[in-house]
Amino acid sequence: MSFTRKPGGKALDILQNLPRISLANLRPEPGTKKAEKKRGRGQHGGNRSGRGHKGERQRGNRPRLGFEGGQTPFYLAIPKYGYNEGHSRRAQYQPLTLNRLQYLIDLGRVDPTQPIDLTQLVNGRGVTIQPQKRDYGVQLVGEGAGIFAAKVNIEVQMASEEAIAAIERNGGMVTTGFYDPRSLAVLCKPVPFFISGQPIPKRMLPGEDMVPYYTDAANRGYLADPEKIQKARIALAQKYGYILPDISKDELFHMLSMIKDPRQIFFGLSPGWVVNMAEKKILKPTDDKLLQYYSS
Amino acid sequence: MSLSFIHRSAMLCRGFRASLNLYDHTTRIPNTTIWLRTLCSSVGEANTRILQSTEEYKFVERLIPPSRVPIPPKHDGPSPSGWTPPSEVPPALPYMIRRSRMHNVPVYTDLTHGSRKTTLVRKVEGDIWALEKDVKEYLQQLTGKDLPTQVNEVTMTLRVKGHFDTELKKWLVEKGF
Repeated sequence: MSFTRKPGGKALDILQNLPRISLANLRPEPGTKKAEKKRGRGQHGGNRSGRGHKGERQRGNRPRLGFEGGQTPFYLAIPKYGYNEGHSRRAQYQPLTLNRLQYLIDLGRVDPTQPIDLTQLVNGRGVTIQPQKRDYGVQLVGEGAGIFAAKVNIEVQMASEEAIAAIERNGGMVTTGFYDPRSLAVLCKPVPFFISGQPIPKRMLPGEDMVPYYTDAANRGYLADPEKIQKARIALAQKYGYILPDISKDELFHMLSMIKDPRQIFFGLSPGWVVNMAEKKILKPTDDKLLQYYSS
Repeated sequence: MSLSFIHRSAMLCRGFRASLNLYDHTTRIPNTTIWLRTLCSSVGEANTRILQSTEEYKFVERLIPPSRVPIPPKHDGPSPSGWTPPSEVPPALPYMIRRSRMHNVPVYTDLTHGSRKTTLVRKVEGDIWALEKDVKEYLQQLTGKDLPTQVNEVTMTLRVKGHFDTELKKWLVEKGF
């Protein structure tokens, strides 16, 4: 049903019939303008003008904020501690709730029939990652685990236990993978990278502090032992009280089991290749040294 | 078929999901689809040939972000996340409230001066005064209070004092907008 719109509507009709607006026929809405309080005038406001009797208060010479008359002030008595030390250099992981993931899938912004990658999430405008601001990726958060009902193969950088349980309960697969800042920038914005003409870099392995996280099967780390991951899936199903669906009998099993190599950034594309978007071609090196480097 | 040069290092080679055969590449080299192109080699370079292929370009096409908002797939009633599509037939009311670009109901909350809460209903078409009457009646039932509203006929928006975005969204979705 289309409505013909008269711009201005009834307000314009009224305005056209009223006399011209001028300062003479305008007044503020009653209650919006409160009279200002004038200090130091009148019978009871006068005399000391609200400044008190003698001393620093009346003479306007009070000491600085925080001074406690000579006693060690609060802000000096409490010892320093590095709570926020190096805060701007800490790794940050943008949270992705299961609520939001379900919303993106429902609106068709993220395709559950293909492996869900950080690139797919960014393309669907589901998350905003700033690799230059110490973002190391996305973390899956369990909020919305109750309503989540999609079978997906998702790869994130960190995942909470509840989120892993919710996804596996629906017959999906979760993997956590590490991306160093350069690989992350390439992953989030692949098109400008391909246009620059550089070969796809190989993904670096995690630093010393993150290796235990990514080698742990409980976090579904990409460096963990596959048998341990299978055991962890069963253990988690027992802990959260659901039957683990057998995905090997699923029609989408091939898609659900797709996982990237630790040195690979994109599905289907190897490090060392150059993508020519103008001519829709891929250039691959044949030199032994290059091949050895990129496949190490 | 795809060509790949992924060789895992000895350190990482731990029988990686070998039993489940989870990698998406094969190790066969197709002969017919690749053609070689020799580059004029610079002084002292050993092997500067490069292989060109159009086989794996489909993986690149998957990475290109779409420039338009995709049309949501069909749902019968509300989807698991709570999103409900607009009804096929627009409701027989003197006003219409369009969905936003991202297919959501255009009701937004605002907070000005740190404590001034308002709810804004945008994208109204038709008789906005009828909508104002209906909204006032509905909120009167909900809260028992007569809330101040402001109608802007130029931008065709309705502002209500207080935060009522969840209630108004639900009410509008029930009406079929």
